[in-house]
Order: sequence, then C-alpha cells, then structure tokens
Amino acid sequence: MSLKKLLKPFKLISIAHKSGVVTVLYPYQKPLITTEFRGKISIDATKCMGCGACVNACPPNALTLSRRDDTIVLNYFIGRCIFCGRCAEVCPVGAITVTHEFELASASTRDLNESLVHRVEKCSGCGGGLGATSRMLQYVILRSPASENYVHLCPNCRKKKLIQSLAMKMGARTEDYEG
Amino acid sequence: MSVKEIMDIIREKLGGIAEDIRYVESAGIIVRVKPVNLREASHIVHDVLDAYFRTMMAVDERPINNTFAAYYVYGLDDKGINIIIEAHADPYTPVLPSIADIVPAADWYELEAWDLLGIKFKNRKLHRFVLPDDWPEGLYPLRRDVDYTVRPSPRITYKPPLQGPRLPVGPYHPALHEPEYFELFVEGERVVDVEYNGFHVHRGIEKLAESPRFTYQKIPFLAERICGICGFVHSVAYTLSVENAAKIEVPERAQYIRSIVLEVERLHSHLLWLGVACHLLGYDAGFMHSWRIREKVMVLAELLTGSRKTYGINLVGGVRKDINMDKITAIRNTLAWLRSEFAKLADLVTSVPQIVRRARGTGILPRDEARKLSVVGPVARASGLDRDVRRDYPYCAYKDVSFRVPVYTEGDNLARVMVRVEEIFESMDIIDQLLDKLPGGPIMAEKMEVPAGLVGIGNVEAPRGEDIHIIITGRGRPYRWRVRAPTYQNIPALKVMLRDAPLADAPLTIASIDPCFSCTDRIVVIDLKTGKREKLQTVSIPGECGCEI
Repeated sequence: MSLKKLLKPFKLISIAHKSGVVTVLYPYQKPLITTEFRGKISIDATKCMGCGACVNACPPNALTLSRRDDTIVLNYFIGRCIFCGRCAEVCPVGAITVTHEFELASASTRDLNESLVHRVEKCSGCGGGLGATSRMLQYVILRSPASENYVHLCPNCRKKKLIQSLAMKMGARTEDYEG
Repeated sequence: MSVKEIMDIIREKLGGIAEDIRYVESAGIIVRVKPVNLREASHIVHDVLDAYFRTMMAVDERPINNTFAAYYVYGLDDKGINIIIEAHADPYTPVLPSIADIVPAADWYELEAWDLLGIKFKNRKLHRFVLPDDWPEGLYPLRRDVDYTVRPSPRITYKPPLQGPRLPVGPYHPALHEPEYFELFVEGERVVDVEYNGFHVHRGIEKLAESPRFTYQKIPFLAERICGICGFVHSVAYTLSVENAAKIEVPERAQYIRSIVLEVERLHSHLLWLGVACHLLGYDAGFMHSWRIREKVMVLAELLTGSRKTYGINLVGGVRKDINMDKITAIRNTLAWLRSEFAKLADLVTSVPQIVRRARGTGILPRDEARKLSVVGPVARASGLDRDVRRDYPYCAYKDVSFRVPVYTEGDNLARVMVRVEEIFESMDIIDQLLDKLPGGPIMAEKMEVPAGLVGIGNVEAPRGEDIHIIITGRGRPYRWRVRAPTYQNIPALKVMLRDAPLADAPLTIASIDPCFSCTDRIVVIDLKTGKREKLQTVSIPGECGCEI
C-alpha cells in the first residue's frame, strides 16, 4: 500500500504524456474560436437608416448618434465596445451584424472609430431640416401608409396644414385663409 | 414551516419593540424598529432565532420619507426565509447604534455606510474604509444629492514623516494588479495580527447604476463587470432581484439556461482556483493540468454564450441565447471528457504530499468563529456550516435538481480544497440533470414592467459563496442597488485563520478563501521585535480580477 502511495505522484507522467501539447502556435495557427463567438460589429451602410435604436440599447455607449442641421452621424467606437451584440438584436432593419473579428489592436485611436453619415431630409413645405433620413421616412410609410401625406413635413408645417384643412372643413375659402 | 408560523414567532419575540411587521414576497419579513431598539432586535434575530447575517443596505431615503434607512438582512437558512430589520435615522444628523459587537459580521457594513452615506454609528470607532484617504471630508458619494459625475479635488493630507529608515510599502498604484493589501504583524515566524486595507478598485458601480446613463436592461452588462471570474453570478443576482421585485415571470427554459451557464462558470472558477492553489504550493504541474482541463470549459462557455468570460446573455426577463441540440451534444461530450480527466487529476492533487502536508491543519477557521462572522460558500462548508444558497433559497432551476452539499468540519485549508473538488463533480451532475429536464418554450418574458418603490432580493451561490443583491426600484432604473460579493463576507475570517499561524502558511490561507480581488497579493511583514518592514511578494493569482465593488 505504501509503495502504491509513494508512486502515486508519478501518475502525472502518464497524464502528461496522454494529453500531449495543448497550446497553439498563435497567430501562425488558426485561433480557436467557436462559431458563436461575438467580435466587433459591422454596420451595413446600405441598410442603416440612422434611427438610433442601437444607441439606446448600447450599454457602454460605444455607439453614439450626433444630430446636426443637415446630417445624422452614427459613430461606433470599438475602444468602448463590450461585444455584447445588443445593437444587432434591436436593429429594426437588421443593418448590424456581429462578426468574428477580434484582433483589433491598433496604434492609433482613429482606427477604432467608424462613422456613418446620413443626410437629413428637407421639409417639403418650408425647406428646413426634418430631423429624419429618407430611409426613416420610407420605413414609417411602409408600416403606416396613411402617414404618406404628412411625413415629409416638419412639425410646424404639419400644424399649418392641419389648421388649413380644419378651416376648409369649417367652410373657409382659400383666399380668406391666405388673406 | 410556513411563513405564517415564522411570522407568529417573530411577532412573539419582537412584537414588543417592532413598529411594523410585514411580509414582502420578493424580499422576506420586514420588521421596522426604532433606532433605540435596533440592538435588541439584532440580538434576538441573530442569537435567539439563530439567523445568519447576510447583508446590510443603507439608503438615502430623504426624497421619499425624509430619513436615512438601513436594512439589515438576516437569513433563516433552514427555512429559506429572510428577516429584514429596518431602521430609520434622522435626515440631518443620521445616527444609528452600532451592532458590530452583537453581530461581528456587520462591522464592514457599518464602516461602508459611514463612508458612503455619512450614517454615524454610535459606540464604535469609525474610519475611512472604502473611500481613499484624500477624499474630502463631509462629501458622501452615495447620497442622492451628490451627482454621479462629481470628481472632487483631492484633499491635501499631512502625514508626519516616518521616523528612522524608510522602506517602500505596498504599492497602491491603481494600474498595477494590486488592489488589496494585508499587513501581517509577526513575531519571528509567527503571525500575531492582521490588518486589511482594501477597496482599491472601488469603482462606484452602485452609484453609476442609479445615474441616468443606465436603464434596467443595461445594468446586467454592468453587473457582469463587477468580477472577472464570477461575472455571470452578479448579472443573474441583479436580474433575479429585479424580477422578484416586479414579479416578472421568467420562462422555464430561460431559468434552465441560466442555471447551466452558472454551473459552467463554477466549473471554470473552481478549476482555476485549484490550479492557483497548486501553483502556490509549488506544484506547478498540477497548476498546468488544472488549467489545461479548464480550457475546455472556457471553450464550452464560449459556445454556449458567445464569449469566454463576461457572457452577456442575461437580461431582465430572460436570456438572449438559446441552446440547440448541437450545443447539448457539445456539453455532454465536454462533460464526459472532463469527468474522466478531472477524476484523474483530483485523485492526484488530493494525495500528493506537497499539497496535503501543507494544507492539512493550516489556516484553521473554527466553526463558532465562522458562525459569528456568517461566512459563506466553501469557507463556511469547510468549517462545518451546512449552507448553500442553491439549496436553502432556491432560485432559477435549482429546485428541480438534486445535489449533495459537501460539508467538512476540519476548517483547514485541505477541507477547503476538498469542498471545491467535490463541488466540481456535483456541478457536472447538476448540468447533466438540467440537460435531461430542459423544457421547451420561449427564453424571454413577454410582459415587462418595473414599477417604482419595490424591494427585491436576488441571491446566487457564486463559486466563492453567497452573492446577494438588494434592489429598490425607481423610475427606469434602480433607486438603490446594493451588491454584496462573497469575498466581502469572507475576508474578516482571514484574521482568525492567519493569527498564531506560521508566516509560511499565510499565502495559501489567504488564497484558500478564493479571494476575488486581484492578480497579485502583496503582503507587508512587520517584525514586531525589530520594527522592520519588508515587502514580500507572495501570491500570484493569474487572471483574477477585482470583485470588491
């Protein structure tokens, strides 16, 4: 019994021999990532409509939306990304996909930023900024066709149009209204 | 015993001093007492009813009812019910009586409440605990009127220069892997006292979660980043607390997936710890083989969740990733491989003299000391306390599986090794049972609304012990979210374990509670006879990350 006990530590030799070398020659050999791995996201510029659903869901604020008068800019900063893939889940048009890419180190932070610039539509009434992209308008019209009549107008012009049509219903003549 | 019977007992024992006794399903029996009666109530619950101290949440409730509140959570483990003692303090000069002498485990909680909320505790020494030394006086960051963006300029503190020769002592550099710091007072080779200085990686996560930057559905990802090893535990505990408070019905399948992932996490954490323990004892072969086995578990975790760590599959109401037949086969294959490989390794590790001789009889934590400090997890189970949250306060799918809770009475380092080794086998059995019973259906709750002003408790048995989160819901985000990681409860026990023991055993003893703070422990040795200080780099725990909030 005592001899068996004494020899026990040597069992490791057989374990080690059986398991062999388990480390991989990274990066010369392919890294061992599974099919489910979540890496950086890629935003499809042909699908994205700049609605900002992903920005609301992003836990670390890696996705940000900045609105200017004539543009909406969606910025993706990989440095903050936690690779959770929530954005891909909430995107209403499926523009975001999670890739397997993870070798993202770079000497410059510029490489870690990706921006997508959307042009903002103009109001068909007054020509001012509408705050929405043409894809957003199409998206709304597709889901609620009745909105086609007023979706191209800014809130102010919409108000005007509503008052106009109300007044017409009450019997006002167009000249009266314009006068 | 039903809730009603326990309520009757509480009415009988505490009826004289309680202002209000009510039962909240999501939390437990809440007993409101006047501050003057707090000590008596604590004594009755802790000593007469023999309840474990679980956590304490201090809240700034001035916007709600113009008081500071403290909720002391005790647990009747054998009945699986919480008794919460609620006390309110004055809003201008908040003072509560200290209960640290009656309930020694409450010591740290009082210091933290003083530091972060400015609640004074009578008849005890209060000092800086969580906040850094140069934090200005009188600014209490967890109060509601302090914005989460406040970054005060450091207070200039004058320290008298040390007399005699000066030696560098323990780096506090935040970028170094050194967030925790022990001072061992020694006489020759014998440790006579221990002083702990921690919270170097306090990140203010609780405050951040109350800020407008966060919503209920974003916090699981934040909670997961509390700890680098048992992150999923924190995200489950958080989601459980919200779901309990708001009574959200989580689909069965989601519960099962959560449990499976929790057990996978326990497997990797225990294997990691076992490797580290071998490494500390100079048995590096055991370390490497333990980590070789662990690697398969990491790959499995990635297949199940999409990431090796910080799985990110948890949301309030369910999980984001389903398990299909391919994955079930992969789990079964990995488990079969793991079982045979680990059986060989465990047999070896628990019999090699390097390990057994060093671990047996060192770092002893007697049962009564363990009970006094209400320690949790493998530390408690190695000291003869039969407590396991999975069995005592069932959550997720643990009510549907049977498993054994290993309990040892020796209380030494070897017992803690054995508890963890046995738990690895139990975990594998649990996963097997869960896969057999895995129900179909959705993985996300359909209706989700979280009303404001509710209390909820979520507890999870982390690899290191009980992890408990309490939440008070607010509008769109928690009003207050209190996290208590298992290490918080276990570190005070180190004082007992290290005292009067040889210095050479200290590294293993510190590691034996599986501390979840960080990568390199650095210990300062002060020789009481010569007064000489020297720095001793002892424990290297690769891959561990900060867990103290």
